[in-house]
Amino acid sequence: MKRTGVFVCHCGINIAGTVDVKRVAKELSKHSGVVHSEDYVYMCSDPGQNLIIDAIKEKKLDNVVIACCSPTLHETTFRNTSESAGLNKFQCEIANIREQCSWVHKDMDKATEKAIKITKSAVEKVRRNESLEPISIPVTRRALVIGGGIAGIQSALDLANTGFEVILVEREPSIGGHMIQLSETFPTLDCSQCILTPKMVEVSKHPNIKLMTYSEVQEISGYVGNFIVKILKKPTYVDADKCTLCDECTKVCPVVVSNEFDLGLTGRRAIYIPFPQAIPATYTLDISACPGLLPIACGKCADVCEPGAIDFDMKPKIVEEEVGAIIVASGFDLYEKELMGEYGYGKYPDVLDGLQFERLLSASGPTMGKVLRPSDRKEPKEVVFIQCVGSRDPELHCPYCSKICCMYTAKHAMLYKHHVHDGQAYIFYIDIRSGGKGYEEFVQRAVEEDGVLYLRGKVSKIFEEKGKIKVWGVDTLAGKDIEIDADMVVLAMAMRPSKEAEELAKKLKIALDKDGFLAEAHPKLRPVESVSSGMFLAGAAQAPKDIPEAVAQASGAASKAVAILSQERLSHAPTVAKVNVNLCSGCGMCVLVCPYDALSLKDGKVEVNEVLCEGCGSCSATCLRAAIQVKNLTPLQVNEMIKVSLGG
Amino acid sequence: MAEEFEPKIVAFLCKWCSSAGSDLAGVSRMEYPSNVVPITVMCSGSISPLYIFSAFNRGADGVLVSGCHPGDCHYIKGNFYARRRIALVKKLLDYIGLEPQRFQMSWVSAAEGKKYTQIIKDFVKELKPLGPQTKLRRNL
Amino acid sequence: MVNLDNLKKEANRILKEEKVKYIIGYKKSSNGLFTVPAFIKNPEEVEKLTWDPTCVYNLTRFLVDEKRKKAKEKEPDERPVGLIVKGCDSRALVVLLQEKFINRDDVYILGVSCEETGVLDEKKLAKTLKGKKVKNIEFGKNDNFVVTTKDGKTEIPAKEILAERCLECNANFPVISDILFGEKVKRKSDNPFESLEKFESLSKEERWTFWKEQLDKCIRCYACRSVCPMCYCDECVADTINFAVIAETTAEEKAQKIKWVEKSPVTSENFVYHLVRAIHLAGRCIDCGECERACPLDIPLRLLNKKLEKEAKELFGYEAGFDADVPSLVSSFKDEDPEDFIR
Repeated sequence: MKRTGVFVCHCGINIAGTVDVKRVAKELSKHSGVVHSEDYVYMCSDPGQNLIIDAIKEKKLDNVVIACCSPTLHETTFRNTSESAGLNKFQCEIANIREQCSWVHKDMDKATEKAIKITKSAVEKVRRNESLEPISIPVTRRALVIGGGIAGIQSALDLANTGFEVILVEREPSIGGHMIQLSETFPTLDCSQCILTPKMVEVSKHPNIKLMTYSEVQEISGYVGNFIVKILKKPTYVDADKCTLCDECTKVCPVVVSNEFDLGLTGRRAIYIPFPQAIPATYTLDISACPGLLPIACGKCADVCEPGAIDFDMKPKIVEEEVGAIIVASGFDLYEKELMGEYGYGKYPDVLDGLQFERLLSASGPTMGKVLRPSDRKEPKEVVFIQCVGSRDPELHCPYCSKICCMYTAKHAMLYKHHVHDGQAYIFYIDIRSGGKGYEEFVQRAVEEDGVLYLRGKVSKIFEEKGKIKVWGVDTLAGKDIEIDADMVVLAMAMRPSKEAEELAKKLKIALDKDGFLAEAHPKLRPVESVSSGMFLAGAAQAPKDIPEAVAQASGAASKAVAILSQERLSHAPTVAKVNVNLCSGCGMCVLVCPYDALSLKDGKVEVNEVLCEGCGSCSATCLRAAIQVKNLTPLQVNEMIKVSLGG
Repeated sequence: MAEEFEPKIVAFLCKWCSSAGSDLAGVSRMEYPSNVVPITVMCSGSISPLYIFSAFNRGADGVLVSGCHPGDCHYIKGNFYARRRIALVKKLLDYIGLEPQRFQMSWVSAAEGKKYTQIIKDFVKELKPLGPQTKLRRNL
Repeated sequence: MVNLDNLKKEANRILKEEKVKYIIGYKKSSNGLFTVPAFIKNPEEVEKLTWDPTCVYNLTRFLVDEKRKKAKEKEPDERPVGLIVKGCDSRALVVLLQEKFINRDDVYILGVSCEETGVLDEKKLAKTLKGKKVKNIEFGKNDNFVVTTKDGKTEIPAKEILAERCLECNANFPVISDILFGEKVKRKSDNPFESLEKFESLSKEERWTFWKEQLDKCIRCYACRSVCPMCYCDECVADTINFAVIAETTAEEKAQKIKWVEKSPVTSENFVYHLVRAIHLAGRCIDCGECERACPLDIPLRLLNKKLEKEAKELFGYEAGFDADVPSLVSSFKDEDPEDFIR
């Protein structure tokens, strides 16, 4: 019979004040199999740990139970202690008689009775624990970064500079994301392109970065340290190596479609370069706009291309890559404008969203940095900015705060005033959230130096009348209705997870939060990790955030990835599911239940991929014939625990 | 005067939410009756109907199953399977005539020490008038 | 109406062409009114096959034995088994397929439709005929059964003497078959949970008293389990007697065996045994009624299984045995599954 030792901690008076620890130790000494039982004032202290070590050696203990605080606190301590005395870590169990007993009861007799049951329960468990060693798995020392916005770029550069190979996948023809569309950035008013393009160039030149633009992740299999990724590389029909950027092709292209980079404020050709500083610096033939390739309906671009860079026969390609860690930086989109009918967005050309206004302000934008109305290219003299459009509206739209709008609206109003000195900027707001270094000062500057008029209240209606945009709102501070004849309205639309995030999350098996953003493993303590091991989150894909926050999280995610990639091998908790093949009928119910795809059927029996299994045990509760169970928390153990918990 | 009946309760708590919530009740020094002996399992999804029958069979006057709120499961979806499984067990026990108050399920997050405390208080209060559970108790 | 000659013709064909190993069907008993299972191996034996309202057995159960036998053979005959199934039996087959216990190729399904009728309830028949001995009973026209006694033939409306489960059946023709005999007529369905609802309306204490009385009778003969096509486990978790200890069973495995239920046929253990069985049949039981028929103590086991059948349908919209490609009741969930019982 196995020899068990029990150690009851007083934790000063934290336990001993309510639980008669001497009685617990005495009662346990009578329990079958317990050959040693003692109490001590602080088991976690060095002398306390030495008591355990000595007892294990002297009494030849096979396993130990420490009755003390929650296992979340000292389980690791005592397992290491036991290991140092020659026991396997799993031959040590914690009986939580503090948080779940002494701290929540007052009656000493009753609390002591309960502490005895809890401790006996741990004894019954530990006596049936298997000695286990961590499962060791190899690591592919490369990373995948999904999304080439500022977050993805930062993660990729950090990883590459640490010396790891990175595959950076971007859906669009160029990296840069939304940041490259911005004019200037708050609170310093740096030019966005000026600070981002050096990083983009660094990405394109970095020997450790394999850049795949116009590409999408199709399928991911494997597990932490060993993912296999299938990436679809869409054809651009332009050989970037041959292209000299002479721009002759766009001159002859007969098709004009809406330019997504300028959010429809300008047009582009079917063959195009998204913006002058695009990385990679080459053209893309947009097949959905081109009159036709099969058969070639036009072909003019190829005719004028002197270096012969245009290749109509280019095919989609699926590239398979092996990586050890994945960073998801799939970014955001603005709230669907169709959903904001009440503000006339999409109906009136001079009602813009924040990103469109960024383009108007941008020196490289459709108006070369002049603020002009899209409808008649006149300078607007009265501009109304509306915050929280779609945000903080749980009844109709998004319940959350999009976080960046207060700041960029202040910036918009300020930059507008810098362009149109005699213009008036109004901002409708619910309240101003300017937490951040230099942010509050920035908002004050907009009010004090640039004379931006802040109106606390919501806008009820926007409509066109006599060439003006009528804005009906309310100033709740003055307690009166407001009517403004505006020349232009700018809506600070809510930030939403990018449209592809949901599908991507499914492929990656990452959970989404209630708003559709990628869910972090813990909202406070694990904000850059996803629930799937080896996959990390960066940027606005996880929650609305501004540039410095996105960059910080991107670096955080990169360092988390490095923690995996820098190891030769990874270890995985060995408390995983185990199959009794004699009992398994191969019904496959557990396979369907497993949240991690760790189970599969082979020759009519279930097999466990121990690396994928997280040991949750849903399989064992589903199995009708007890053919699968999790090591060290088997139904037998639980049944014995039930027995002693009820005093049996 | 005869001593007041003290129901014996087994609580199956998932490690990540409900057991952590119960820990929080301790850290916050909340007080609740000592009738419940907790058994921490990895996930509410791992709680087999056999555990529940066994607890009643071994003399439990009440059984509690507690897991993470929907959407918060540490193992993504274990609590959804638990919800379905436990619903069936609850219907079945009720059907054969066991007092429905004796078997309960709750969602308790790691932040809900107060809720856990309240659940235990209510549970004990509801069980006291019922007296000992003898219907399924083994008496050999 | 099922044409028995056509059924025999097909049976003859598949045996002659050696398409199947053998056929499991029904034949007249040498003593007694009710048919018994027939294992037809040669075309010459096909004449024995019959089809009448006493074909109560769920023959899919024999696939379990067939699979075990086959597993032991060195060079097994890979041809399918011909199997005659009613609507309810076919749903059992679907569950066995869903649980990958059998493959579709393992069985050649000769489906028979109960059309507007079903199988007989012996007690109801005896009551109707006031104890008169029945020599023969067959399907008649207009959903009547033709009963032959010493006084000659009489026609009785099937509804009066049908088994309760047939009155509550909603799959009166096979949901899966290779060849179907009879028409796919949908029964005018009565309330599928009528018998159950009557019972549910009792008070909690009345229900307890009822079940205690019923389950106290249980002698733990395990006939309910033996006859159940879903109880195909090599080892039943609710019964230590049948633990499959073989030469390869390790000491560790033996030590892992749990006595969830004691052997003694006392209230608590009988209850736990039947609760485990009921919960393990949730979303799997297709109400063939075999457990209740086989029970020597007349325990109304259908009433137990039917309850979870009803809950599965009402709470989760799940019905067993209609689609082998969907995940089972307990290996699936919906976001909107009810949780009003959770605190």
